[in-house]
Amino acid sequence: MNYKVLIGLEMHCEISKTKTKVFSSARNSFSETPNCNVRPVDMAFPGTLPVVNKEAVKMALMASMILGCSQPEYLYFERKNYYYPDLPKGFQITQETKPAPVGSYGMLTYECKGEKKTVRINNLHLEEDAASSDHYPSCSRINYNRAGVPLLELVTEPDFHSADEAVAFLEEMRSIYQYAGISEADSKKGQVRCDVNVSIMDKNLDESDPANWGTKVEIKNVNSFSGVRDAINYEIQRQIDLKEDGKYDEMPQQTRRWDEESASTIFMRGKVDAIDYKYFVEPNIPKFKISKEWLEEIRKSIPMLAHERKDMYMKNYGISEYDATILVKEKPVADFFEDTIKLGANPKSASNWITTNLLGSLNKMEITIEESKLTPSHLALLIKMVENGEISSQQAKGVFTESLETGKSPKDIASEKGLKQITNEGEITKIVNEVLDENPDIIEQYKNGKVAMVNYLVGQVMKKTHGTANPSLARDVMAKEIEKR
Amino acid sequence: MQKFTKEMVDDYADKLLIGLTEEENKMVLDEFGVIDATIDMINELPDIEKVEPMTHALDDFEYVLREDEPEESVPIEDLLANCDDHTDREVQVPRMVG
Amino acid sequence: MSYMDKSIEEIHEALKKGLVTSDELVKESLEKSHLVQEKCNAFVTILDDAKGTEVTDSLLSGIPYGVKDNYSTKGVLSTGSSNTLKDYVPFFSATAIDNLSKAGAVMVNKTVLDEFGMGGTGTTGHTGIVTNPWDKTRMCAGSSAGSAAAVAAGVYPYATGSDTGDSIRKPAAYCGIVGYKPTYGMISRYGLFPFASSLDHCGVLTRSVRDAAIVTDAMKGIDKNDMTSWNSKDVHLLEALDGNVKGKKLCYVKEICDINNYPNASDELKRHLENFMKTIDICKSLGMEVDEVSVDETLLKASPATYVVISCAEATSNMSNLTGFIFGPRASGDKWDEEMKNYRTKGFSPLIKRRFVIGSYVLQAQNKNRYFHNAQRVRRLLVDEWKKLFEKYDAVILPVGSGPAKKLEGSKDALDKNTAILEDHLQIGNFGGFPSITIPNGFIDGLPVGVNITGNCYEDEKTLNIAYALEGAMDYKGQVCKEVQ
Repeated sequence: MNYKVLIGLEMHCEISKTKTKVFSSARNSFSETPNCNVRPVDMAFPGTLPVVNKEAVKMALMASMILGCSQPEYLYFERKNYYYPDLPKGFQITQETKPAPVGSYGMLTYECKGEKKTVRINNLHLEEDAASSDHYPSCSRINYNRAGVPLLELVTEPDFHSADEAVAFLEEMRSIYQYAGISEADSKKGQVRCDVNVSIMDKNLDESDPANWGTKVEIKNVNSFSGVRDAINYEIQRQIDLKEDGKYDEMPQQTRRWDEESASTIFMRGKVDAIDYKYFVEPNIPKFKISKEWLEEIRKSIPMLAHERKDMYMKNYGISEYDATILVKEKPVADFFEDTIKLGANPKSASNWITTNLLGSLNKMEITIEESKLTPSHLALLIKMVENGEISSQQAKGVFTESLETGKSPKDIASEKGLKQITNEGEITKIVNEVLDENPDIIEQYKNGKVAMVNYLVGQVMKKTHGTANPSLARDVMAKEIEKR
Repeated sequence: MQKFTKEMVDDYADKLLIGLTEEENKMVLDEFGVIDATIDMINELPDIEKVEPMTHALDDFEYVLREDEPEESVPIEDLLANCDDHTDREVQVPRMVG
Repeated sequence: MSYMDKSIEEIHEALKKGLVTSDELVKESLEKSHLVQEKCNAFVTILDDAKGTEVTDSLLSGIPYGVKDNYSTKGVLSTGSSNTLKDYVPFFSATAIDNLSKAGAVMVNKTVLDEFGMGGTGTTGHTGIVTNPWDKTRMCAGSSAGSAAAVAAGVYPYATGSDTGDSIRKPAAYCGIVGYKPTYGMISRYGLFPFASSLDHCGVLTRSVRDAAIVTDAMKGIDKNDMTSWNSKDVHLLEALDGNVKGKKLCYVKEICDINNYPNASDELKRHLENFMKTIDICKSLGMEVDEVSVDETLLKASPATYVVISCAEATSNMSNLTGFIFGPRASGDKWDEEMKNYRTKGFSPLIKRRFVIGSYVLQAQNKNRYFHNAQRVRRLLVDEWKKLFEKYDAVILPVGSGPAKKLEGSKDALDKNTAILEDHLQIGNFGGFPSITIPNGFIDGLPVGVNITGNCYEDEKTLNIAYALEGAMDYKGQVCKEVQ
C-alpha cells in the first residue's frame, strides 16, 4: 500500500458500576420497563437541578489515572447545547477541554498481535448519556431510563495505523474498564459507542507533522468493535479509491455515519454545517476542588488490571503464560479463578479445570461464566476431593459435568452415586490377587520380560473397581504382588 | 468582525426553533447595537483578557459531592401527567429518523 | 377588623390569642385577592379552596401568603407566566415552598411575573399587565410584579419573589414595600423555574424588615437537590435584628448618586436623589458613618450590557427544556422540530424570543470571547470593586431606580443606551450573590420610592439589621397602599 493510515478514536463508555446516575439520584441500572428509573431532573422538569455523583467522579478520575492523564485542580462541567427529542434539557452536561476535564494528555500501552504499541490520549471527560428512543413507522417513543447515565468519553490522538490496532486498543480499554470496576463495557448492551476519524497520507511523508495529514473524515455512532473494524476498512478503501481516481483533493472534511445494513459509510454533513454547541460552564454545579488526598486515595484503590493479574498468576502460582492469558481475557473468568483459589484450591488445578474444562463447556452451553451453575466453591471442593483421594480424577470429570448442569454440590453428587475411592491397601491387595489369579498367562508374559504388561493388569483392577481404586496405590500393590508369584 | 444582520437574526431564531416577526427582528438589532457599543468599550479596558471569567455567583464556595445512594423513581402517572402525547409508558414524538 | 394588612408577629399573636382563626385569615386573604385581581391583575391562580392550618409556635403557621408563579407548586398550576406552561401542574414543590409549608404557612394564590422572570415591567406575563396598586396607570416593575402588588395592597403580609437582576428589589420600591434577596444559595433554587442560574436568587416581598427576616428564616437551608445551596443553620435573621448600628460604616457611589452625572435630569429624578440624601442623613443620625466613594465609571456603564449578555446566554440554554414534548401544550407538526418550533413560536412572548437570539449569538464559538467571556470578566471586575468596598464598609447604600413607578404607557423593556446606571446597578448584587434589601424611603407625588442596602456575601444578618434600624427611623414600615387611584 502506498498510503499511511491515521486513525483516531472517540470511545464513549457508560459507567455501569455506580448505583445512581451522574447528575441524578435515579438508579443506574438497565430495566425492561420504560421510564422506571427516572428522577425529575432526568426529564428536565422546570426548576430541577443537577447534583454530581461522587462515585462517578471517583471512577472517572481513576480511569484518568490508569490512562496516565493529568487530573485537574478543579472539577467543572459545561453545557453542550443542541436540540433533539432524546435530550430533555436541550443540553448535555459534559466537559470540554477548557476548563480541564477529568483527564488530559495521557498515554496507554496496548498489545496488537503480540506487539506493544502506544497511543496518546488527548482527553477523558465525564458526561451524561441521552435518553433512548424506539422508532415506529409514524412516531418515535422516548424512554428516559438512560438519560443521565454516566458516560466516559475518551479521545485519542490519530495514532492508530490500522483497524487491527484500533480494535486492539478498544479491547484493552474494555478490559481496563472491567478490571477497574468501572463498567461492564458491553457493546451488546449499548454501553460502548465509538466515533472514528480516518485519514490517509502518502507513505513517505512524516506523520509527526500534521501538515502532512490527509483530510479528516469522522464516522459517527459505530456501536460494536467489529463495526469499528469494518467502518475503518471501508473508509480506508473509499479514500484510497478517491486518491487513485484523482478525486481525493476535492473531498471536503466531513462527518459520515456507519450504516451496518449496507456495510458502508454515508455522508452526513460537511464542515460548514458543523453544529455550534455553544458550550459554557454549567452554573448549577459550583467548581469543586479536587483534593490531593482524595486523588491519592483513589490512586491507592485502583484494582489490579489484567496484565498485573496475569503477571501475578505466572509468578506466584507458576501458571503458564498461555493459561494466564486465557484466565485474564475476561474479568469474570479471572475473578472465578481467584475466588476458587481463595477457597483453598490448588491454583494450578483450578487453572487446569477452568481453561481445559469449564470454558469449553460454557462455550458449548452458550452461557457466560457468571451464569454458570458450577460455582467457585463447587470447583474448589471438587479439587479438594480429588486431592484427598475421596474420588478419582476420572470420577471427578463426571461430577464436574453434573455439577455444571445441575448446580449440585460435588459432595452430594459423589455420595448420591456412591462414588468413593478405594484407598485401603488390604482391599486393593485382595482385588489385585483376584486379577492375578484370573490372568496366569499375563503373569507368564511378565516374567518373560514383558514388564509393560503390568499396565494391563492395573487396568483390569481399575475396571473391576469401576475406576474407584486409587490408581497409584493399585500400581504399587500390583508391583509387589506380581513379584510374589 | 462580522456584524449582526437581519438575515443572521432570522437564522439564529430558526436554529433556536422560534419564529420572529419583522418588528421583533428589528428590536433585536436595535438592542444588540447597544450591547455591541458597550462591548467595544469593555474591550478597551486594560488587561481585560487576563481577568478570569466569573461563571458562578459564589467563587469561594466549597461543597460536597452527592453520595451514590439511589432514590425511588417518580411514578409514571406523575411523569406523564403533563404530557399531551404518550403511549404506554413512553413520551411519543413524530418519527425522529429517516 | 382586618388582619392581612398587619405584620406577621401581630397576626401570629392574634391567632395565638384566639382573636381570629387561620380559616378566617384565609377567607379574608382570598376576598382581598379577588379585589386586587380585579384592580391590578396580580394573580395567575387564586386558590379558592385553600384551608387554614393549625396554629403552632411557628410565626408563619396559619397565615396566608402568595407564591410567585415561577415556583413549582405540587398539584397547583405553575406557569412561569408563560403560554409555554399555561397548563403545567407539577408533581413536586420547590424546596423553599416545602419549607414554608412545614412552617405552617398557607399558600392562597400564585402571582403574575414577567414571563419566566425575564423582564422588569410586569407587563409580559401571559395573563396580561399587572398594574401598580398605588396608581393603576403605572407599572409595578418586574418581574415579581404580582407579588409586590399583592403585598402592597394588603392581600397578605408576604409573598415569595425571585431576583435575577432586581426582580424583587425594584418592584418592592415601586410598590412601597420591602424586597429582600439573601446571599446566593441561602435559599435553595430547586423548583424555581430558572432564568439565569448563576444570577437567580429566591427571596421575599414583605412590608417590614422583621417580616422579611421571619420568612427567610423559614425558606432558607441547605438542600441536597441544589448544589449551590449552603448550610446556614448558624444564620438567625430575626434574632439578629437588634437595631444597634452605631459605628457601622456605609458608603454610596458618587457616579450613581450625584445629580451632576445626569445633565438632563428630570424634576422627579432630582427629588428622588434629594430624598436619598435625606435618608443618608437619617443613617448618620443613627450613629452610622456614611462616605461617598468612587467606582470606575466604565465598569458601571458596562454593567447593563454585561447583565444582558450573561442572563440571555444562560436563559436560552435554561429554557431549551421547553419543547412541548414532556410538558406544555403539544403543538402540531409533521416532524419533531416542527412541533417544537410551533410550540416555541406560539408560546414565548416577543421579549423572550429577542433575548434568546441575543443569548445564542453571544455564545457562538466565533463570538463567545468578545461577548460572553468579556461579560463574565466585567462581572468579576465589578464584584471585585464591591468586595473592595466591603473591606472598608459594612454595606453599600444606593437609591433604587430613577424615581417612583413609571407610567405603563410607552414602557418598553429593551436595553436603552441612555439608561442610566441608576436604573440597573442592583444587578451587581446578583453578579456577586450579595445579600440585598430594598426598603421604602419616601414619596414623590404620592408615589413610593425605595432605597437599597447591599452587604457582603454571608453577611445577611448585618445587612438586614442596618435596614431594620433605618426602617425604624422612617415612617414607611408596614405601609399598605391607599385606595387604588
